[in-house]
Amino acid sequence: MSYNFDRLRVLVVDDNLHSRTLVGAVLHAFGVKTVLEAASAEEGWKILAKNRCDLVFVDWVMDGMSGLEFSQMIRTAKDSPNQFVPIVMITGHTSLERVHAARDAGVNEFLAKPVSSKSILARLISVIENPRPFVRTKVYFGPCRRRRRVDYHGPERRVEENVIKPGKKSASAA
Amino acid sequence: MANNKRPIEIFMPPNVLKAKMGSGKLDLSAVKRAEQAIDNLKSEFTGWVIQDVSRLVEAGAAYVKQSNEETLADLYRAAHDLKGQAATFDFPLISRVASSLCLLTDDTVYGLPLPLNLIGAHIDAIKVIVRDNLKDPSDQTATELAAELEQQVAGFLEKHAAA
Repeated sequence: MSYNFDRLRVLVVDDNLHSRTLVGAVLHAFGVKTVLEAASAEEGWKILAKNRCDLVFVDWVMDGMSGLEFSQMIRTAKDSPNQFVPIVMITGHTSLERVHAARDAGVNEFLAKPVSSKSILARLISVIENPRPFVRTKVYFGPCRRRRRVDYHGPERRVEENVIKPGKKSASAA
Repeated sequence: MANNKRPIEIFMPPNVLKAKMGSGKLDLSAVKRAEQAIDNLKSEFTGWVIQDVSRLVEAGAAYVKQSNEETLADLYRAAHDLKGQAATFDFPLISRVASSLCLLTDDTVYGLPLPLNLIGAHIDAIKVIVRDNLKDPSDQTATELAAELEQQVAGFLEKHAAA
């Protein structure tokens, strides 16, 4: 049995029409029936408010609100229509500093330019098969930023008594 | 250490994507269809590149006319789009030159007296690559030109980093 993409509703936010068209064409070819396109973060926000999207692709560098700010808004705005929606950041930035900034904005995955059908599919599969738990602290809300499951031999920096088990509300939680 | 005393809530939201897509394996025909979709668009790529280059030329002219944060950001975005997309559109050398232009125009350089002739040289190089339809990433003249531009940008940034 293979993945069934046809029920997905995907939002693509990019101010460059050509880039949007390319990503949309690849998603349609995978079988995604509903690809919603936005030419700005502001338009993307409106679409997100009216449609239950399952996944968001957003370009980092856009006129007006950037993809980074858009991602932060999805994760932390009080009126966010979908705080948990997986976000894939499309980016030509490759510096570690930029990657950390996007990670801190609550982005799930990166899609480095130039994009290809294989790289888009790889991000889709990663979001589906490797979902990350969400973390809420006073200063961050979004997917756990510990990206990979690796054997960690250093000291535990999360203090156990301060970790609130799933299902229990934090006193500080909004 | 104060951060460690902040309460942390960790939870796993429902995997809506998985629920919709089912657990399965990759259908290789989907990849072939997607590659075909990109191939089908290739006839439009040159037209798209020409439009994106026109936008870069306009942004460059606007920056030369009035150098400020806004025109610099427009120029950077136009270069950044080409950097990201031109390789997909079979113009890898445009990506390379545009990448060099991005280094020269990103927000870390705002306030520096950017060399307009170097900005113009990048734009001219990109125009030539399109005009001559140079799609081979090893084209000797174009790679030498790209290397020269990269070197000049590195020299400019180094000089101002040291200042």
